[in-house]
Amino acid sequence: MSKRILIVDDEPRYLRLLEANLRTEGYEVATAQDGVQAVDIFSSQPIDLILLDIMMPRMDGFSTCQRIREYSNVPIIMLTAKGEEQDRVRGLDLGADDYLVKPFSATELLARVRAVLRRSQIPTETGQARFFSHGDLKIDFARAEVWRGEQPVSLSATEYRLLLQFAHNVGSILTSEDLLTGVWGPEYKMEKEILWVSIARLRQKLEEDPHAPRHIVTRSGLGYLMPPLEV
Amino acid sequence: MYNKGLDPRTLAYIQTLVQAASMNDDWKIALDKLLVALRAEFVFDNAAIYMVDQATSNLEIAHARAVGRGKAAEADAAWGESLANQVLARECVIVQDPLENANDRISQAYLLGLPLYNGSKVFGVMVFVRFGGPIYEEAHITLATVVGSFVAALLFRKLHEKTRQQLTTLQQKVQLQDDFVATISHELRTPLGFIKGYSTTLLRSDTTWDEETKQEFLTIIDEEADRLAQLIDNILESAKLQSHSVQLNMQPLRLEALIRDVVLRVCTRHKNLEVELLFEPVPPIQGDNVRITQVFDNLFSNAIKYASGSKISVVVKEQKGSLLVIFSDRGPGIPKAYLPYIFERFYRVPGERTSKGSGLGLYICNQIIMAHHGKIWVESELKKGTTFYIQLPIKSAI
Repeated sequence: MSKRILIVDDEPRYLRLLEANLRTEGYEVATAQDGVQAVDIFSSQPIDLILLDIMMPRMDGFSTCQRIREYSNVPIIMLTAKGEEQDRVRGLDLGADDYLVKPFSATELLARVRAVLRRSQIPTETGQARFFSHGDLKIDFARAEVWRGEQPVSLSATEYRLLLQFAHNVGSILTSEDLLTGVWGPEYKMEKEILWVSIARLRQKLEEDPHAPRHIVTRSGLGYLMPPLEV
Repeated sequence: MYNKGLDPRTLAYIQTLVQAASMNDDWKIALDKLLVALRAEFVFDNAAIYMVDQATSNLEIAHARAVGRGKAAEADAAWGESLANQVLARECVIVQDPLENANDRISQAYLLGLPLYNGSKVFGVMVFVRFGGPIYEEAHITLATVVGSFVAALLFRKLHEKTRQQLTTLQQKVQLQDDFVATISHELRTPLGFIKGYSTTLLRSDTTWDEETKQEFLTIIDEEADRLAQLIDNILESAKLQSHSVQLNMQPLRLEALIRDVVLRVCTRHKNLEVELLFEPVPPIQGDNVRITQVFDNLFSNAIKYASGSKISVVVKEQKGSLLVIFSDRGPGIPKAYLPYIFERFYRVPGERTSKGSGLGLYICNQIIMAHHGKIWVESELKKGTTFYIQLPIKSAI
């Protein structure tokens, strides 16, 4: 079944540009001209990915992202007009999966869309134990569910994939490059901000005290690890 | 408990001096009060304060007061300028008695010059003048030296204030420049984004586009390249207008014909635009054809952007020796609070679709109309529309 992508931009020329390119790849496309329309469409149709512009009338991209993240983990790529770090990090902080800086080329656009959709496929494991636990953290691989004690935790596909990297490598230090390549793909190898923001978000959801993490620990200058639990 | 020898009267006097020097925000008032307070114990007719000019190293007069006999004589009286230069050169207190052969009191000037220090550096000189005496006693000189250090502190405060003002002005300029760069780079990125996006779309090797789509995309690229060029023109234009280096090419000009040309051009790009022209017969004016065209280009482009779908009406008539153009749309209008600012450079009405406009258009219009000795103003009512008025002199003074 073909994937359905919602594109949100107030410039008709951007909508046209994105739609024309996405359709050649076999994606279905829905369009919205502002955040309010986007939320309406998203709540009434199945959507697999959202391409979201930041500067829009009525409701801007940041608020739209925040609103959608309240109830959905749908992959979101922010379209930022400024290539400024501040805007990128803010989008990621609000739960966006990736961003694309305007001006971008058609091939860059399609590569990002492919990468984010690839990440959003929840990997199902076979030939392994079904459950994993680490302190109060529990993962059900078969159902791709995560629990903190008795509380179910809602993770985005990217966050879940990131968590799996740690769960499969307990006790080993993973470098930023390992994690970026493993979760996002080799073309993201240098984009450390994405990793920082994602780890911070993961800690917010999993750790009792995100400032004194016990599941995902930073090893300064080396990387991150899930430490082996002392018995 | 007082020490012997420091009597209450002296202490009270010192307190008056200190208060005069320290309790006033304005350094000039403080200086005047200090000199008045000083006169209770120290007689003088004129007092002059000179400061070293940073650029030339010469002494410049910073403050002068005639309080006694000097008042009547004004400029003729001695202000001790040559003595001040000596004090500056020798960096010490100098007392100068009048010349032997001086006969009237005004010529019989007794001068006292004191160096003013900032740390160990002399940065000014204070001169007291007594016409016809008395001579300066040792105690007088000590008192004047004490007051001199207050004066030095006050002058230093003045320098400080001046520097701070300059700094504030500079900071504002830098802020404006920063905003300019941020706004402009964002504005340039929008058309650039389309050019990049659509050209790389056409260049994709993994797909083909039909003829019609190719034409559509190439047209967009072409139009966005034009928009980029126009934006760059506007930026340069506003920079020139800002520095007042624009030369107007004044010629006899028929405003109605000019506006008709603009309308014709605008309507070919915006086929659905409805424009109503109400022209009374008017005489030609003196004006720069290119610049005035620019004004109407901007007004039309604004109306299309911010009042899209609205009919535009343009009235031209003669009124009290001027031409009056009334340019109105029936768009959403501009909130009253924002109206006073819309002709300012880079001002953009908050909440407007941020992806359009540079905040330069109306600024440029205003500068051009002003350069023609005309006037532009705006009236607007929410939900009713916006009207721009342009008044241009028929017989130009230029």
